[in-house]
Amino acid sequence: MVEALCDWLSKTPLSVAFQTAEWFVPLVQTIHILAIAIFLISVYVISLRLLGVTHGARSIGSLMRGSAPWIWGALTVLLLTGMLLTITEPARELLNWAFRTKMVLVLMLAILLVVTQSALRHDPDYWSASPGRKLAGRSIGLLALIIGAGIVSAGRWIAYV
Amino acid sequence: MFKDALTWLEGLSFPTAVRESAWLFPAIETVHVFALVLVVGSIITVDLRLLGFTNRDRPFTQLAKEMLPWTWVCFVIAALAGLMMFSSKATVYFSNIPFRIKMVCLLLAGINMMVFHWVGMREVVAWDTSVPPRHARVAGGTSLLLWTLIVATGRWIGFTT
Repeated sequence: MVEALCDWLSKTPLSVAFQTAEWFVPLVQTIHILAIAIFLISVYVISLRLLGVTHGARSIGSLMRGSAPWIWGALTVLLLTGMLLTITEPARELLNWAFRTKMVLVLMLAILLVVTQSALRHDPDYWSASPGRKLAGRSIGLLALIIGAGIVSAGRWIAYV
Repeated sequence: MFKDALTWLEGLSFPTAVRESAWLFPAIETVHVFALVLVVGSIITVDLRLLGFTNRDRPFTQLAKEMLPWTWVCFVIAALAGLMMFSSKATVYFSNIPFRIKMVCLLLAGINMMVFHWVGMREVVAWDTSVPPRHARVAGGTSLLLWTLIVATGRWIGFTT
């Protein structure tokens, strides 16, 4: 069924037009990588704070408020450029287990970010209010670091599996 | 003579192993991409502050101090992984035009950063908590442009070797 979808998608005029323009894939991938750069550094700065490794001059609540538009803005650019790449080469992405792993990881990280952000919005000290929450915050921070690395790795391995 | 040195480098045992292994090159490349994404993310964060677009409520020196460890640690990792990839096909990369443009951009980005550090930062106290002056905005814009080119030419190497 996915094969049929790939087959149909790769024959649409839009996909054919993207495939014929040699510069299209490298250009879109470049935008994709720049968006990952903004996304990942923003997520990692917050993760290390949750983990208790770094202690910045401003509170984690204010850090999250400043970073959130960049995190979600970059993620939107990532989804859009990712869709363009998938339209261009559907079989390369949709039938690829590295791509599928990457999508699951992206979803997991997005959920962690929503949880972290909404808790901070209600209470800027949420993740340090009790030993239990501190531990939860640390776990989320560590998970986010690992999942972030997994997303970049799985993304690069799409080209090899 | 330079070509001889590159041929010698390629012939060493580790570069040969990278060239002949099915998984070693992608594995090193994954480390390279992961580290460079964080280098670029931390640099873009500082550049956007220099341009006066983001983090205007935070002192520039504070933000720069927070980002610097990310930039340097990840740059060393990305450069080492890059050198490993280069050594596996040194003669091919050396004659590759996108590779040469990338190296020139890296050099220019380094010079831009040093000039800003030694000259542009002299009167930083005067604009640390406000919109940076013209020369600082020019340095930020130049850095942003160069690092975009570094990502683009880096991706382009993969399509031309």
